Amino acid sequence: MFSPSSTPLKGALSGIRALELAEIWAGPFCGSVLGDLGAEVVKVEAVQRIARGSINPPPHASGYPDGDPGERPWNRNSNFNALSRNKLGLTLDLTTKQGADAFKELVNVSDVVFTNYAYGVMDKFGLGYDELRKVKPDIIALFTPGYGNTGPYKTFRSMGMVIDAITGHTALRGYPDMDLSRNSLVHHPDAVAGATAVFAICLAIRERIKTGRGRFIDLSQAESFMPHLGEVYLEHALTGTPRERRGNRHPAMAPRGVYRCAGGEDRWVAIAVKSDAEWREMCGAMQMPQLARNPLFATLDARLRNHDELDAAIERWTRGTTRYEAASALQERGIAAGPVLDCGADAYDDPHLQDRGYFQAVEHPDAGVHLMSGPIWRMANRSEIRHEPAPGLGEHNEPLLGGLLGMPHSRLAELEANRVIGTAPLEGADMGGVRRAAERKNAAR
Amino acid sequence: MPQLALDGVRVLELADDIAGGYCAKTLAEYGAEVFKIEPPSRAAPEYRAAQSEADDALRLHLATNRKSVALDLETERGREILFELAVRCDVVVESMPPGDAERLGIGYERLAARAPAVVMASVTPFGQTGPYRLWNYDELTLFAMTGAMHREGLPGRHPLKYGGEIAQYFGGTAAAAATMGALVGAAMTGVGDWIDVSVFEGMAGHPHQIGRRAPFAYSGEPDLRVEPRTSSAGGREPYAVGTFRCKDGYVSFLPLGPRMWPNIARMIGMPELMDDPRFLTTDDRSENRVELESIFQSWLDGKTRMEVFDAAQREGLPGGPVLQALEVAGNEHFAARDYFRRMEHPEHGELTYTGLPFKLSDAPESAPSPAPEVGRDTRRVLASVLGMSETEIAALARRGVASYV
Repeated sequence: MFSPSSTPLKGALSGIRALELAEIWAGPFCGSVLGDLGAEVVKVEAVQRIARGSINPPPHASGYPDGDPGERPWNRNSNFNALSRNKLGLTLDLTTKQGADAFKELVNVSDVVFTNYAYGVMDKFGLGYDELRKVKPDIIALFTPGYGNTGPYKTFRSMGMVIDAITGHTALRGYPDMDLSRNSLVHHPDAVAGATAVFAICLAIRERIKTGRGRFIDLSQAESFMPHLGEVYLEHALTGTPRERRGNRHPAMAPRGVYRCAGGEDRWVAIAVKSDAEWREMCGAMQMPQLARNPLFATLDARLRNHDELDAAIERWTRGTTRYEAASALQERGIAAGPVLDCGADAYDDPHLQDRGYFQAVEHPDAGVHLMSGPIWRMANRSEIRHEPAPGLGEHNEPLLGGLLGMPHSRLAELEANRVIGTAPLEGADMGGVRRAAERKNAAR
Repeated sequence: MPQLALDGVRVLELADDIAGGYCAKTLAEYGAEVFKIEPPSRAAPEYRAAQSEADDALRLHLATNRKSVALDLETERGREILFELAVRCDVVVESMPPGDAERLGIGYERLAARAPAVVMASVTPFGQTGPYRLWNYDELTLFAMTGAMHREGLPGRHPLKYGGEIAQYFGGTAAAAATMGALVGAAMTGVGDWIDVSVFEGMAGHPHQIGRRAPFAYSGEPDLRVEPRTSSAGGREPYAVGTFRCKDGYVSFLPLGPRMWPNIARMIGMPELMDDPRFLTTDDRSENRVELESIFQSWLDGKTRMEVFDAAQREGLPGGPVLQALEVAGNEHFAARDYFRRMEHPEHGELTYTGLPFKLSDAPESAPSPAPEVGRDTRRVLASVLGMSETEIAALARRGVASYV
């Protein structure tokens, strides 16, 4: 039986310091998970450019505590705060020599630098891998632009949505009876890159323990995601035809789908029946023995042929039950089923997530106390993974630059006066602001 | 002679599912020696998610770079050998229902008593504890519970699964990351770990889901399916967000907000639109998005996917082609990076396989080997790891405890 040790050790990566230069998802997710593992993760931002939502959101804007952006909306943005657990906040304007020099001092006492900036950004800062290695020969550096650090597309701009398209996943999504242009937006590949980056960084740390050597890790978001579709490529090669879109159906399971339930507007239960015997069991659970005898549904082939009628028959049952009642009744008979849960109240109300203590009450100094999502695994011998609140902008400038690097007060004051560091974003520093400023300058010229 | 990153790392794998199998595959890609324990039988066992036409494809993909050791774990001697192998490994990856590892004599406590540094990754759909821990599952039912499905699809229609087996693979990558983290811990302290990975929580803790849960946590905002090309879909510049038809297929775009409007206008060769009073501000463009989308669409109708891709990149816009599986394998960029790998399989011949999830500087890449026949490596592994003689191994085979080819 899995139970945490009564004398837990510190996190597996305790003693490791990692510098995060990252926005959106892939990089920030990597940082949070390294933090879960016990690393000290320093998120490096700049008052000239933040990715913490708008600087001046309208009152009652979406995504702020109780609809109030407050005085420091950049520290109250729900999305940023939810995705930035377990790290320290530092600001440094890396486009200045003072900022880049301070960063190098930090590299000198760190183990890992990771970024999901576009290709070439780190070079522009004078902080490419070769420069980092001059500062610290055994540094581990992971750069993850969408298409990787070599090849004809290396400079191409990408987002998860586009990686999803070019890797073949988009072609598999959506309703089979509707045009692909009706597909929902998706950003899944970013997350795969983030999780893969954690693996890659831990692999390099372990190797450094054994050999003393650092590494440059070239992580293409596309290439880290493609093995998640590996059998689809092979299937295309073996059969000569690309896989058709299936929606919720499956060539070897029927019924397989989601079915409307009682208890609210948008309530569904997902069901997957893997054999004829399971189908007969399911008829028992639905108390519809006559269905089990109906030749229209007797075999897998028959059920696949008559899937629409099958779905209609099942929905007559599910509409009279809640999604949890339906799922439990089927699971009691060993049939795969589960409620469709949203990312709102449903997840918080789920008894399994509650039992496992998945959600944690987190107090954020600027945003208040909220139930936040927990770590994605447990380790029996290490101390429990806590969700520490997201750092405020520049919250840890003083302990990192003054404390850790020992910079005198006068230097900190100078950095602050030059806006190399700070705790409030400059006008126009929210995403897009930098570009807008540059465009205004160009237009004026 | 440069070494592979995980040279010398031994892994015992007891996983017939995608998440556990992909975790072990990832370790094998970087040089770990992975002993895949399989029941002695001529036919390759099916993966739990296998399906008619893709049975072979799934094993071909997931079981690369393995050493197949065929052992009958129903026998006491088979279980003894399993234990002796496990305590000589650095990692055990198992995806059996909670409790089965103990029943087979390789529960974490028993292993750790002999091999304190061992890392055991238990990769299951719902984790080791909690009311669903023994629930049956399939990608659809698991995905449904994670929160990812509820937003996939259109309002008024049913929610949808993604393509493929996305949640299970994500769980596999998360498990590999956790395992590698625990190996660092073991290298630093000599103490390994037992990791409880739940595929459900992996996908529920995915940034997509965390990000959607956040506005609910902060201000009670509901999580609904929405029409694509509306600002509530998260689309800034909604007329140009999502997937669009073009001359020879489809393309996807995700422009990053109003700042990219000039790039879009230039991309479609109509910079004058920037001064069009209908489209001056982001609110104007949202209001007149149907008109703007039809202008955008007319431009797309005359362009191929690759022409659109080029035009988008010239303007620095995140946009690209929707490719089918084999088109991905033939793509120029992935070819230039030597990403895909050709391997000859005795039964299926030469095929193209996906490559490494990331590249390490100055490191050799492992020579990949295709999915093994069941029991291909039994003799070699029992001899090299446990020091068994040919006679002993032959006796095991006669009693049906082990098999080899």
